[in-house]
Amino acid sequence: MKRLLGVALGILTAIGGFVDIGDLVTNAVVGSRFGLSLVWVVAVGVVGICLFANMSGRVAAASGRATFEVIRERLGPRAGLANLSASFLINLMTVTAEIGGVALALQLASSVHYLLWIPVAAVAVWLVIWRVKFSIMENVTGLLGLTLIVFAVALFLLKPDWGVLAGQALAPAVPDGETVPTYWYYAIALFGAAMTPYEVFFFSSGAVEEGWTVKDLVQSRLNVLVGFPLGGLLSVAIAGCAAVVLLPAGIAVTSLSQVILPVAEGAGKLGLAFVLVGVVAATFGAALETTLSSGYTLAQFFGWSWGKFRRPVQAARFHLAMIICLLVGLAVLATGVDPVLVTEYSVVFSAIALPLTYLPILIVSNDPQYMGQHVNGRAVNVLGMAYLVIILVASLAAIPLMIVTGAGS
Amino acid sequence: MVLNTPASPPLRGSRPRRRLSVTVLCAGLAVLVVGCSGVSGSVASAVKDSSSAVATARLALRQDMEGKLTRAATATTLDDALREVDTGRSTVQKLSPATREDRDTQRQALEALDACAAAFATARAAVSADDVGSAPTTADGDRALAAAQDALNQLGDKAGGT
Amino acid sequence: MTSPDLVPLPPVAGRILDAQLHLLDRQVLDTDGVPVTTVDDLELSGPALGEEIPVGTPAPVLDALLTGPVLGTRIFGGRPPSSRLIRIPWKDVADVGVVVRLGVRGGPLDAGWVERWVRDKIIARIPGGRHDPR
Repeated sequence: MKRLLGVALGILTAIGGFVDIGDLVTNAVVGSRFGLSLVWVVAVGVVGICLFANMSGRVAAASGRATFEVIRERLGPRAGLANLSASFLINLMTVTAEIGGVALALQLASSVHYLLWIPVAAVAVWLVIWRVKFSIMENVTGLLGLTLIVFAVALFLLKPDWGVLAGQALAPAVPDGETVPTYWYYAIALFGAAMTPYEVFFFSSGAVEEGWTVKDLVQSRLNVLVGFPLGGLLSVAIAGCAAVVLLPAGIAVTSLSQVILPVAEGAGKLGLAFVLVGVVAATFGAALETTLSSGYTLAQFFGWSWGKFRRPVQAARFHLAMIICLLVGLAVLATGVDPVLVTEYSVVFSAIALPLTYLPILIVSNDPQYMGQHVNGRAVNVLGMAYLVIILVASLAAIPLMIVTGAGS
Repeated sequence: MVLNTPASPPLRGSRPRRRLSVTVLCAGLAVLVVGCSGVSGSVASAVKDSSSAVATARLALRQDMEGKLTRAATATTLDDALREVDTGRSTVQKLSPATREDRDTQRQALEALDACAAAFATARAAVSADDVGSAPTTADGDRALAAAQDALNQLGDKAGGT
Repeated sequence: MTSPDLVPLPPVAGRILDAQLHLLDRQVLDTDGVPVTTVDDLELSGPALGEEIPVGTPAPVLDALLTGPVLGTRIFGGRPPSSRLIRIPWKDVADVGVVVRLGVRGGPLDAGWVERWVRDKIIARIPGGRHDPR
């Protein structure tokens, strides 16, 4: 019974933890401009993140090594440092976007300007990282994030023409008024939002934090294989809501306030309350994960002592690094830069940087010295190679498309 | 003695690849510049963004009237939408039209966008007032925004036609 | 490429380790399993670089694992002065696997001075720094 509860809890937190500010904004933008014609990208992204998280979780459980230790060992110091710099900067950008997202959601709930909420959000993130137990942190934000299911509820309450939605989803076409490069630019953004690298740093480091062994692999696989696809459905519901309410009204999403309007339309004030709790929980949870990830990447590259399971004094540089990251994020947001804009760029840069972390994990998960008998099976490797191609193409195409489309405007 | 790993020679194919990426970059920039220059192009995109913002505000006001949205959420949505309109207005203001036709386009767009901003002021006042005194009602705000939307639509149709 | 002048390799007892593959850039854990550092470079005994090697010189021996500023010079080139090297003597190494395990506690090692400094000057002074999260 206890075991069953554990499995259920793992799956539920995986669903609630799947959505972050990147998924919220990108799915709503895409839904409001392209309808459901890019849903296939969410499917591709979800299969990819399942594969990637499964491999890095297995590496962590079988060898006890987290992602960035492995990256440095495999790539050596020079390529490893280049990789660290790129991954770290993009992660920092995501930290900034998530904290901004928490503040924007709190503004929607209180009408107090978001710039005043930003220090509050950052201090709260730091306090949780400083004091709260890892599993409690994960479970509380994950379960509260589940209230985002209200997007799916609202979609049903809106009573859309399901035939039209299915048509958009199953026979994708570029809608009128949008260009082909813009379509593909947002395809890459959506892919990056679903497959953010920080999820993988976090997943593998979290496996070490919680002391996974090979015995826990079955449960971790279940969490990923059930939780992430359901989280993906949540993403589709966000896009669907935007496609039903905002697209016909000629509204292109540029702010978080527009993301939640369809929920209010379908489910009223109660729905609004749920969605605000969900957005705060999801972005706050992701802010915790990305802040921890920035500490993890640095500590693992340089061999520092790290982990929330240690007292802060036993992982001093790890905690100092996270404090500095939060301060940098605060400073960036204090300039008044639009957090939604930061989010839109962060998901595309995530897609650009994805091969840097994907390839070393793919290599190590085939290395018997680390993995023993738990090396990739043939089916995983075939899928892994196919995704390597997809990830490389998305990464290489992103910058030219960004320039040609003026970042999707 | 320190065992230093020797500095690896620079990768051979890296230079042509860099040249290729520079070419792609230049081509992209060229497209960008051509696509966005021109008064009518900038005006059209500002008008499009603003009409999306006005539609957002009208949706929020309607939901507010139907009791679906809290005052805090309505106010925030209006502020966000107004910022969008302001951005569009300052873009149009900064344009330096060369021909008489472009000057007309700019003037008409500015008029429409000013009307938008005024409508937003009405709507915002209606939302922050607690339904007392001489403050405009939410319905007044919606009417003002509807008029602004019509003006923007006409402008958009004309810009699309040329 | 074997030359008759060289002393033949001594018979190898135990495992053969490849410096590049099994040592460099590996995580170093102390006897309690706490991360200490990463192997940033290695120090070998023997003649200096570019010196004539007389016939019959014994093969160089691995003296210490290096860490600290040597990582920067390994990436960007150059070599720090010998006094700036932070050494972990090879005799402290207990086991080499996926990680390098030391047979001593990491606390008092030279390699831990930055960690100790950050701990004592900053982290320990913030309230709750000694709180056990579990």
